Amino acid sequence: MMATPATPRTATDQPLIETRKLVKSYNLGGETIHAVNGVSLSIERGEYVAIMGTSGSGKSTFMNMIGCLDVPTSGQVLIDGTPTASMSSDELASLRNEKIGFVFQQFNLLARTSSIDNVAVPLIYAGIDKAERRERAIAKLRDMGLGDRLLNTPAKLSGGQQQRVAIARALVTEPLVLLADEPTGALDTRTSEEIMAIFEKLNAAGITVIVVTHEDEIADHAKRRIEFRDGKVIEDRLVKNRTVASAHAEAEGV
Amino acid sequence: MEKWLASWSVNIAIAFTALRTNLMRSILTMLGVLIGVFAVTLAVAVGNGAQVSVMQSINSFGSNMAIIVPEPDNEGGRRSFDRGRLTQRDLRAIEREVPGVIATAPQLRSTLDLVTPGANATTSSVGTTPGYGSITHHPADRGRYITEADVRSAARVLVLGRTTAETLFGEFDPVGESVRVDGVPFQVIGLLEEKGSTFGTDNDDTVVMPISTMRQRFVGDTLPGPDDLQLAFAGFEEGASLVQGKIDITNVLKDRYRVRDGEINPFRVRTTQEFMEESQFITGILQAVLVAIASISLLVGGIGIMNIMLVSVTERTREIGLRMALGAKRSDIRNQFLVEAAVLCVLGGAVGLALAWLAGTALTAYADFPVPIGVGVAIGSLIFSAVIGLAFGGYPAVRASRLSPIEALRTE
Repeated sequence: MMATPATPRTATDQPLIETRKLVKSYNLGGETIHAVNGVSLSIERGEYVAIMGTSGSGKSTFMNMIGCLDVPTSGQVLIDGTPTASMSSDELASLRNEKIGFVFQQFNLLARTSSIDNVAVPLIYAGIDKAERRERAIAKLRDMGLGDRLLNTPAKLSGGQQQRVAIARALVTEPLVLLADEPTGALDTRTSEEIMAIFEKLNAAGITVIVVTHEDEIADHAKRRIEFRDGKVIEDRLVKNRTVASAHAEAEGV
Repeated sequence: MEKWLASWSVNIAIAFTALRTNLMRSILTMLGVLIGVFAVTLAVAVGNGAQVSVMQSINSFGSNMAIIVPEPDNEGGRRSFDRGRLTQRDLRAIEREVPGVIATAPQLRSTLDLVTPGANATTSSVGTTPGYGSITHHPADRGRYITEADVRSAARVLVLGRTTAETLFGEFDPVGESVRVDGVPFQVIGLLEEKGSTFGTDNDDTVVMPISTMRQRFVGDTLPGPDDLQLAFAGFEEGASLVQGKIDITNVLKDRYRVRDGEINPFRVRTTQEFMEESQFITGILQAVLVAIASISLLVGGIGIMNIMLVSVTERTREIGLRMALGAKRSDIRNQFLVEAAVLCVLGGAVGLALAWLAGTALTAYADFPVPIGVGVAIGSLIFSAVIGLAFGGYPAVRASRLSPIEALRTE
């Protein structure tokens, strides 16, 4: 069912994500708005990047394009060295399925559906059979400390637990990169710390993590900080005084 | 193949979850298809039943025969002389010359008053020869039928139909009893087999007597000559071609009466095959009309499906966006909604079919009208409801699959 993409997953000489003069513009009442206006940057494997900016700065639009959810007006997005511009919608769907894990602010879990079934959704579209889907979903949920919440529906889970189910879902296809859009936006401070600790652990284990946020406290966990304003990158620097949340969170028993 | 099956089983599971989530709405939507399939299935079954019942009636008269009716040619004030007449000599010629004919029987018919000491009946009575019973599949099963001897001697004997016998004699065995027919005493020699009724006509309300007796005593003065018949029957052997038989009979009669080509034929020959074809045509039209009317309800049901699927797509736009973000292809989304529509329709269709079967069984049992719902009709209506689901679910499903992932995800 799934066509394996031509590019092997281990093309390590290429940046994981590269954008070239990326532009996204909208036409609002005859006036052209450039949400993203000529952004060229690359993100390597193993990075932990925070994309910052106020509302309307273009950070979310940028993330949607590198996540292959949105199509650029002009410019290029290369994932693992492969240009995405000429890909069909089916090829983009496979790319998202295999290489990108999404975490959303509102969790976006399917209601009235168990944790296992929620986590297994990407595996359905990967053409994995039922027994293996179940096995892999349970393994990821255990990794997220949800071994005792396997059959709970989202309504029976706290916000933090729901977001951990969503992270398990993002990771279940073993993607190259985790894209999180305001992952703590709907959570309280303590739970936010838990989620950030998970991201740090995942990054330490070698997964590339990209977090879109407007909160400095969240961005401070990342190793690299890219700030957007008016569709352009105004700052791109490595973070020196990183906040390390894992010690704190581990003390809380995560 | 295995993966293909697995992806469909997942789609069916998703469909059931979605339908359970909005249970009341799903049931109401299904009701539309249910009523539609019920109506169409029952209409088809009633049509089939009408066909079966007409066939049975025609078969009960003898499935392999021709009826010959003289049509006197009075056109332009010409006297008909021999034209358009039919005699027993003609029947003997047909027996002799037409291949496949095993027997012929003449008929003279008159409505006569039958009187016994305690009762009376007015009955359509037939004067004929011994072959009539076997050609029309209506022999005597008590006493005896009329014989050649009865015909030769113009005997005053009667064979009674079951209804007539009951009217005149009640439970009492009438064989050997006396009946006055238009004032003349007759002897009852037998009872006709019970035959039931067709199209509301009671086939057992009849009387058979020798044709000579009928002619001499009751109808002789209404006929153009001493040997004339009102009509005649020719019975063919099993497997004989009635199309050819009709041509042969017509040719024999044309020959005997010197009808030249181009002249109006003074006889009409009709075969049971023609009756069957005509009635099949008529019941076919009846069925088509019924099905057409019933289809309107199915159409309305289908529109209901489309409406609900559009609502469902709108409500679940965010879910569609999420699934796309997680790797669903357009075809995955399309199939998910197609399966949901098809499941709605097939479930509704199955219940509709079950109800139609119940109604058909009840009609067959209590209304004495066959309403057969065969395996073909059942499978057909289930396939039909699935097609309705795919046809009316198609547009919403394709619309869902065309959504842009990010637009869909942003929907509140």
